[in-house]
Amino acid sequence: MTLAVTYDLGSYVSENWEFLLRGLGRTLLVSAIAITGAFAIGAVLGAARAHRVPVLSQVAAIYVEVIRNTPILVQIFFLYFALPQVGIRLDVFTVAWLSVMVWGGAFNTENFRAGFEAVPFRFREAALALGFGRLRTFFNITFPIGGRIALPSSINTYIAVLKNTALLYVISYEELTTSAFQINARTLETLETLTVLGVVYLTLVWTLSASIRWLEGHLALPEER
Amino acid sequence: MAEALAATHPSTEPVVRLEHVRKSFGDNLVLQEIDLEVASREVLVVIGPSGSGKSTLLRCVNLLEPIDSGRIFFEGTEITAKGVRLPEIRQQIGIVFQSFNLFPHLRAIDNLTLAARRIKKIDRKEAEARAHELLERVGLAEKARSYPHQLSGGQQQRVAIARALMMRPHVMLFDEVTSALDPELVGEVLVVMRDLARDGMTMLVVTHEMQFAREVGDRVIFMDDGLIVEQGKPTDVLDRPKEERTQRFLRRTLQLADSLEELTIEGRQGGVG
Repeated sequence: MTLAVTYDLGSYVSENWEFLLRGLGRTLLVSAIAITGAFAIGAVLGAARAHRVPVLSQVAAIYVEVIRNTPILVQIFFLYFALPQVGIRLDVFTVAWLSVMVWGGAFNTENFRAGFEAVPFRFREAALALGFGRLRTFFNITFPIGGRIALPSSINTYIAVLKNTALLYVISYEELTTSAFQINARTLETLETLTVLGVVYLTLVWTLSASIRWLEGHLALPEER
Repeated sequence: MAEALAATHPSTEPVVRLEHVRKSFGDNLVLQEIDLEVASREVLVVIGPSGSGKSTLLRCVNLLEPIDSGRIFFEGTEITAKGVRLPEIRQQIGIVFQSFNLFPHLRAIDNLTLAARRIKKIDRKEAEARAHELLERVGLAEKARSYPHQLSGGQQQRVAIARALMMRPHVMLFDEVTSALDPELVGEVLVVMRDLARDGMTMLVVTHEMQFAREVGDRVIFMDDGLIVEQGKPTDVLDRPKEERTQRFLRRTLQLADSLEELTIEGRQGGVG
């Protein structure tokens, strides 16, 4: 018996599109939660780092060090397989969004820290002189200016978060990559599988970066538009 | 317009009073025992060589620089006391900086209204109406929608003055506001300041503009080495300085106007090379 080597992308897609679409939906859902969370974590902890808020700043520093210096794969395993040993049992969906969010949050903390620190002191001083308190100065001056400075680097983090969802394969969370390989295990149409994955991820990342860059164009500091 | 800008102070209490103020940066004593009063509606001009402490003095008035010892009063209230709510005091003390410091992400009009809307909770319409009035006053009504980077230095500085006036301050502090400007732009800023003085605003002005000190100032203070060396009427201090240090400073300041030929660097041994 000879194994026919064929490449039939059309029938691969037409036979499996529903299953793939479900996976794509989960990829998008997990990414959306994680990116939103990473934005919030980055803004809060980045501010704590930049303004040296006692305790929170040190906690953030340790968090950033641990996450940035360990493989995300190990982090996913930790949440899914190690935590249950100490009685913390998270379902696979929770581990899915949590792991990529925690990862993105650490990188985003650094993005925002750098952005907030890059805000020249004279702008904050002008706000203080007008009668803004420290907190109001942060929300009205440091955040809008520093957030814009941090935008390009945080976009890269959001894109990485999206791509990292593919690693959720290792805990069998049925996002796009896992779904595609489940089909592959049945049909052995590996080339078709990877073609589809490549095209879909490329489209996702391009769309994401294009939309954020559009946003960046509207948000950037006026002199840099 | 005057009554809209300068709040009236019926009392004879000085608007600003400094008592034995000392301030150092590390080992460098920049203010040694400064005593100073600014009366209501007075224009007090501070001159002196760079590093004499005059900018620091100005920035101490609203405590942008914390002081080491001494006391500072604003309309009779000690603001160096514990428990004083500084943001509330600072709303009543306008300051204009050498480097303008307009918020780069906001249009001119929003630079003016931000603090009024966010701190004083004035609604946008009312704040913008007043902002337009002030922009018109500084000659920039048509620049309301411009961002700071689209404006010249002189225009930015006039917006910055209008921004400070938005909070209806009882005193205005000017920290070398024309020093970063191209020479041809200095005049438009000085005119705004002159008009403000004429309207009765209490002003404390650190400047190198001797002409302004002479024509607009009610009193001139000469500072050197963190000390008030000499003070008095502008004509007395500028034309008939009593102190040797004042004479030397004025000679050096006005020297350039005469001739570059006679210019020397103090303390230099021999010629160049």
